[in-house]
Amino acid sequence: MTILTQTLRGAAFLALITSPALAETTGPGGETATPSAQVTVSDALVAKVQEGGHKAALLWHDQSDFVNAVTAGASDEFARLGVEVVAVTSAGFDAAKQRSDIETAMTRQPDIILSLPLDPVTSAAAFQEAKEAGVALSFLSNLPSGYEYPQDYAAIVTDDLFQMGKQAADALAASMGGAGTVGWIYHDASYYVTNQRDNAFKATIENDYPEISIVAEQGISDPARAEDIANAMLLKNPDLGGIYVTWAGPAEGVLAALRANGNATTKIVTLDLSEPVALDMVRGGNVAAIVADEAYELGRAMAASAVLDLLGEDVPPFVVAPAVTVTADTVVEGWKRSLNTAPPTSLVSQ
Amino acid sequence: MTQPTPVLSLTNIHKAFDGVIAIQDFSLDLFPGEIVALVGDNGAGKSTLIKMISGVYSPTSGTVALDGEKVSFADASSARNRGIEVVYQDLALADQQPVFMNMFLGRELTKPPFGLLDKERMRRESQALVDELDVRIPSASSTIRDLSGGQRQGIAIARATHWASKLILLDEPTAALGVAETARVEQLVASLRERNLAILIISHSLDQVFTLSDRICVLRRGEQIGIRKTAETDKNEIVSMITGVHK
Amino acid sequence: MTMAIQKLKSFDLQQSVIYIGFVAIFLFFALTLHGDGFLTSRNLTNIVLQTAPATIMAVGLVFALSAGEIDLSFGSVVAVSSLSAAVAMQHFPMAVGILAGLGAGAGIGAFNGVMVAYVRLPSFLVTLATMGLFAGIARSMTDLRSIPVLNETFTGIFGSGKLFTVPSLVFWTAVVVGLGHLVYRNTRFGAHVLAVGDNARAAQVSGISVARVRLYVLTLCGSCAGLAGLLYAGRLQAAKYTLGESDLMTVIAAVIVGGTALNGGKGSIIGALLGSLMMGMLNNGLILMGLAVSDQMIVRGLIILLAVAISLRDTSR
Repeated sequence: MTILTQTLRGAAFLALITSPALAETTGPGGETATPSAQVTVSDALVAKVQEGGHKAALLWHDQSDFVNAVTAGASDEFARLGVEVVAVTSAGFDAAKQRSDIETAMTRQPDIILSLPLDPVTSAAAFQEAKEAGVALSFLSNLPSGYEYPQDYAAIVTDDLFQMGKQAADALAASMGGAGTVGWIYHDASYYVTNQRDNAFKATIENDYPEISIVAEQGISDPARAEDIANAMLLKNPDLGGIYVTWAGPAEGVLAALRANGNATTKIVTLDLSEPVALDMVRGGNVAAIVADEAYELGRAMAASAVLDLLGEDVPPFVVAPAVTVTADTVVEGWKRSLNTAPPTSLVSQ
Repeated sequence: MTQPTPVLSLTNIHKAFDGVIAIQDFSLDLFPGEIVALVGDNGAGKSTLIKMISGVYSPTSGTVALDGEKVSFADASSARNRGIEVVYQDLALADQQPVFMNMFLGRELTKPPFGLLDKERMRRESQALVDELDVRIPSASSTIRDLSGGQRQGIAIARATHWASKLILLDEPTAALGVAETARVEQLVASLRERNLAILIISHSLDQVFTLSDRICVLRRGEQIGIRKTAETDKNEIVSMITGVHK
Repeated sequence: MTMAIQKLKSFDLQQSVIYIGFVAIFLFFALTLHGDGFLTSRNLTNIVLQTAPATIMAVGLVFALSAGEIDLSFGSVVAVSSLSAAVAMQHFPMAVGILAGLGAGAGIGAFNGVMVAYVRLPSFLVTLATMGLFAGIARSMTDLRSIPVLNETFTGIFGSGKLFTVPSLVFWTAVVVGLGHLVYRNTRFGAHVLAVGDNARAAQVSGISVARVRLYVLTLCGSCAGLAGLLYAGRLQAAKYTLGESDLMTVIAAVIVGGTALNGGKGSIIGALLGSLMMGMLNNGLILMGLAVSDQMIVRGLIILLAVAISLRDTSR
């Protein structure tokens, strides 16, 4: 839930364009996505970067385990490249604070700024000074309005939202043996992040799994109502093979409904790491898989893209970090890849 | 000896709250340079009377006259504007402000051209006043809460003296004070006689009443029992008037 | 006598904590961060610019607290004011936008004031309610959208412009603090505010209209927040419903650290200015030190706690 809300609130404004059916995440100007793995600073360039004695500032919108993981990914990459991180800030979703943070960080004369601009409108003026000073700007998910690639910024890096939904579909289908009926609980709100992921799940099932049919669709806006919604869905479709839940918060409610009904057969798949949901999964319960974004990799790619821009190398305008499917067997690896931490102890002591 | 015009003249004052009689048929003349004590048990109507004189209540019937002229106060401010000041038993002072600001509370002096506070003049006048009345405080710039209870009551009385042109009403001025401080305040009150003000004092202490007053007016359950010259009466008589028990 | 001396000592400490704290923090950062640009005139100017809206809100709050009232709603007022101005300027000339922003602030302040002074509700509860009410209104005004402010005269006057060589935000800070100090210390209104907060009954029997003073201080508080909203809009060249949301605690802390009593009767406009600058200096210096965000919060919290503890020790006896 935390990760989702952070991403949600940050990325909700980004006008990424996706075609409805078989689509991939594309950039604000229709740029095709470059996988983050392709954005690397080669060993040959490392020495050159280290000579530069560059400085970087990380100006985030808020604090969360997601932001921590992005920071860790960026900091580790900067350490490898000999770039000093001179300031890390959190604006607490306050656009005025973000503006002040940028000004303050500029005092340290950074060559690189990594940031999630809180809002395209308010951040346009906020980043003006940094832009004019020629700082290499690498943005997470969001773009200040009117900023042009490549003269104004180095790159936008974001989650591969489409891939997250698709991998959720693949994981659920695998757990159901590729056949059966599915319930689709989507986020009933106009939020770019969830809409993109939910639709990617639906499209993948409809296009790639002819023997699986979506027999129930239900929107949710209040996670607290998830249990009621799941109960109603199970009442009408007692033999549901699987349920997709838009993120981990409501998935906890759906789990509660299945347990109350003594249902051990219906599989659940959801997005974003959550300890209670993962606990059910490692105990062999209803949860088949959780799909998460690779926040650590996101941070690394932001750092790398900014450094490449400093060196005058070509940087792809729009970079996406991959999604990671976490199952009972891959909890440790999944947590590592997504958040760059060990999973909560309750999950590994099972 | 010709009687001067009374400063304050109350004639046949009645006051009723929702039909319940609080004061009936009260008449009293106060003369300049005179201290009159108002005594009576709790609930006898002393406070109601004070509030009518100071403009908080208006009488149901009867007349109030100042210097022989019939008046009717709309509120406490209009009574104050006519030269009537009240000193409350619970010290109506702003504790965290300096003495001189309290002295001029609500009537601060300003200076042209911008109408800013004339603190220097307020401080000077306050200092002169406390010196004149011999209220011993460190300075007119002292903060009220750093002063003793007696000093504070001294400030309150000095303030009333400064603004009153006719009459000061003292409502239990020493109720919260110790013995030595009470004596200081009594001296201060006695000295006000020379300023040709009329003073009406409410007190529970008969010793104080006999020390200070020229006349004593007794109230019992809203009824005026009588007025005695202090020199011509004694405590026994006043006590029996207050209680209604004749020994 | 000993007691009097002790009293005198604690009184002095309490009065001067903000001056000592301000200088101590400044010296600490000046010494540890001299190589990192802390002392550059640009960085020091930045601190004043960044704290300008909070300082102006703090001036309003000093009046409210001194009169024994509190305003919790000023953060929401900032959002409503900046959005009102931005929306108005989409359709009308700049003057209308300025009037809309200031009017919204004064209007909400006056509403608070009427509820407190004449409906006789506690200001804590009234402004707690209006804080939520106007935060909601700010959100619904533009459906959470940010509104750009493109009028360059406006962004000059209230944001990035200069008057001769003085940045406009420094100018606004100086004007509001200067006027505020003058009114607070040297006018009958200022004296009445202190008297009402100190002893409302004493003020009442001295002929001061307590209700009117309460109405005025809350209106003033709202108006200051309205101006702060304009400054935010000018600085960000945009208005957003989140503006001011996080200022409540910063401003209250600045005012308390600056020597204003929470329960009325005592305060300092200059202290509030220094308190606000101290908050800004802490934000700035801790970022420049390169601390992690959580560590910045911990250090800032501890320093504010220390300062508030010293400021409040005497009045809470």
